[in-house]
Amino acid sequence: MNATVRWLVRRLLLTVLVTAGAATVAFAGMRLTPGDPVRTLLGSPPTPELLRQVRHELGYDRPLLEQYGLFMGRLLRGDLGHSYQLQQPVARVIGDQLWATLELAAAGFLLAVTVATVLAVATAGRRPALRRLAVALELLAISTPSFWTGVLLLTFFAFRWQVFPVISGSGPQGLVLPAVALALSLVGVFAQVLREGLERALEEPFALTSRARGSGETAVRIRHALRHALIPMITLSGWCVGALLSGAVVIETIFSRQGLGRVMATAIAGRDLPVVTGVVVVSALAFSVINLAVDGLYRVVDPRLRGAAL
Amino acid sequence: MGLGRPLPSLALPAASLIAAAATACAPGGAAAGTADGHLVYATGLEPDCLDPQVSGLEVTALIDRSIFDSLVGMTPDGRFHPWLAERWTVSEDGRTYTFHLRSGVRFHDGTPLDAAAVKATLDHAVDPETKSRYAASLVRSYASAEVVAPRVVKVRLREPDASFLQALSTAHLGIQPTARLRGNAEALCGTPVGSGPFRFAGWTRGKQVVLTRNPGYSWGPGYAGHRGPAHLERLSIGFVPEGSVRLGALTAGQADMVDGVPTTNAASVRSSGRTRLLRADMPGAVFGIFLNGTRGVLADERVRTALMRAVDIDRLVESVYSGEYSRAWSPLSPATTGYSRATEGSWPYDPALSDRLLDQAGWTGRDSAGYRTKNGERLALRWPYMSKLMQDRRHVLAQGVQAHAKRVGIAVDLVNEDGGAMARDVLQGTMDLYSTSLARAEPDILRYYFARDRTPPKGGGNFFRLSDSRLDRLLRDAAATTDPAVRARHYAEVQDRLLRKALVVPLYVPVRLVGASTEVRGVRFDSHAYPLFYEARKGGGK
Repeated sequence: MNATVRWLVRRLLLTVLVTAGAATVAFAGMRLTPGDPVRTLLGSPPTPELLRQVRHELGYDRPLLEQYGLFMGRLLRGDLGHSYQLQQPVARVIGDQLWATLELAAAGFLLAVTVATVLAVATAGRRPALRRLAVALELLAISTPSFWTGVLLLTFFAFRWQVFPVISGSGPQGLVLPAVALALSLVGVFAQVLREGLERALEEPFALTSRARGSGETAVRIRHALRHALIPMITLSGWCVGALLSGAVVIETIFSRQGLGRVMATAIAGRDLPVVTGVVVVSALAFSVINLAVDGLYRVVDPRLRGAAL
Repeated sequence: MGLGRPLPSLALPAASLIAAAATACAPGGAAAGTADGHLVYATGLEPDCLDPQVSGLEVTALIDRSIFDSLVGMTPDGRFHPWLAERWTVSEDGRTYTFHLRSGVRFHDGTPLDAAAVKATLDHAVDPETKSRYAASLVRSYASAEVVAPRVVKVRLREPDASFLQALSTAHLGIQPTARLRGNAEALCGTPVGSGPFRFAGWTRGKQVVLTRNPGYSWGPGYAGHRGPAHLERLSIGFVPEGSVRLGALTAGQADMVDGVPTTNAASVRSSGRTRLLRADMPGAVFGIFLNGTRGVLADERVRTALMRAVDIDRLVESVYSGEYSRAWSPLSPATTGYSRATEGSWPYDPALSDRLLDQAGWTGRDSAGYRTKNGERLALRWPYMSKLMQDRRHVLAQGVQAHAKRVGIAVDLVNEDGGAMARDVLQGTMDLYSTSLARAEPDILRYYFARDRTPPKGGGNFFRLSDSRLDRLLRDAAATTDPAVRARHYAEVQDRLLRKALVVPLYVPVRLVGASTEVRGVRFDSHAYPLFYEARKGGGK
């Protein structure tokens, strides 16, 4: 028990560190790119008075280190700042868009896991022709960029057959195509990892034992082998938060969906620093928290890890 | 996999490949997906802020035009019409404008329009606190306004400014109610209140802005066919960043109008039985290349002229834009008052002349790549650009210019820069070539680009610190008089002088291409080539 508490404290501290690090990198990145950020922000050549005004308001006339200190101080208090371009608090900008991205990410993830599980259970270590086909298709899905699959999906299902809306609404109908496009980029990796895990588990003695007890092949796979094969999948799902978030940028743009990805893309192009750092901080936090949860889950699933201070 | 793929711009080439497929396939379903009386307009960019005096974006003007009324209306022929002001007078010295406001006008919040609102709006535009990104520069001659009577306002200018009425006619100078302007900036940006034919009904960020009809409206602009409420009940402006997806939305009947139709798809939109192509030439400065005549090799007028004559602009524009756009002869668009027809044909393609001029200028050597040299130095021109501003195949056009320049031995280095580096280049004038366009229904736009006091550090567009006293005087005098004949003569001389000194190479006249369902009728374009929805109808709607 003691080990678990120590592990948790360590991981929480690490989470804070990762988030602060990400915020620092975002801050530095936006400052080190060439050019005057205020001019970029204002677009067409601004008048000198406007330039002075905005520079002062955003604190750009202070020394860089002081700016960084103020920025981190505000962040510690949970204040993400105010978007100059959108005239809104960053927390609200993100809050308004967060749900749409979560919805997309969750739908894409669940779809990918479901399809991958079906594929793996159906083809691991049997039906060689089908297995080869599945592996080939997975490879194709991994290597096809999601902007291409997105465009193909739109062309057929929205432009030609009009089964789904071209401009994604907020309803479940509008979620289908974007979720499929996002899932396709993940399903290949998931299926390959699961299949390998399954194949390894099926060679274990416990699989033989349950077969000897007269269980059907599919039952052995689902009730026994799958549980073992899921462990690497849990690790992978921590990693794929990043893939989901970056995939959302492309998917949201192509499908004209609301969401954090599109906000981020617009903010980077317009050098809207508070929004960029805000999205980075929130993403880093989500990434760390989910990884923490995954590692916790790992300890639940695999009792051998409980004593270890990973 | 997905981790390192954050670039939406990557989607463009792939998306354009299927754009043809999108327009080619006629949808099976008969009826359009949108209801009668509800028009859906899809555009690429989303506004940052809907306060007309704050934002400088085109899409803001497009939306705000339906929410806000202006003091006067302007038609593409350059004439002004009464709107919120039923009449106005200009003082002898051109520095005082007196506007008499129409009675019975109410803002969407119920407050009546009065002279105080006009004064408050103009003060709001120039207040540094507002941080106006465009409106303030439109009325930089504004000094003060005085409420003479509840419906009479007197506006004083610092100097005579013939472009002032045009500035007032834009959506960027839409009139806002006084009480709102005292409120906070966030409300002004997020929930605009005007007196226009449509009321703001909601903004789902990342998706759309919805407007609903203002049923009490009875003060349409003087140029419109009626004065009463708009025909449409509802107007949605959706934000669809991908051009090919917008086109798909139109052909699938999920949008009634889409803007930014790529020229490559224009023919299919036109020939489809279910869609039409609407087009409007943009007024203002055409897309062209500005030549740095104040430093480097281009300080030699012969080299500038050589570059200008080396490019076969007719052929380039024809092939890059599939014949949809016309080549430009003047830095001013033909849709602008003051455009000089005399410029047409005055500087034809003549590579032999280019070769002669370059020889005379001493660029007689050739290096291994075939470029001209002088004292061992290659004749190279740096042309930085920002891909964001080179949409509409402008980068392809630029490559065409590069290829033509190479044929006479000029090396053009196209450099893709990010916003920061570009801003620095513009600020310091450290490039040889720079390309841009700017829409404004006023020849005074030339002052923005060429007057001595309009350098980028001062908020202008005189990128290369050109200082030509003849030009300055012509531009100043043209702005100081409202006599159309005098203005036309001055601006004609300005255009002639700019071309004769080869300070600008006009390339093409930007056009707004809007695809529309055949169900949509009554859309017209205002003098800034923005579609107007006030008189639009759809389907069997009233």
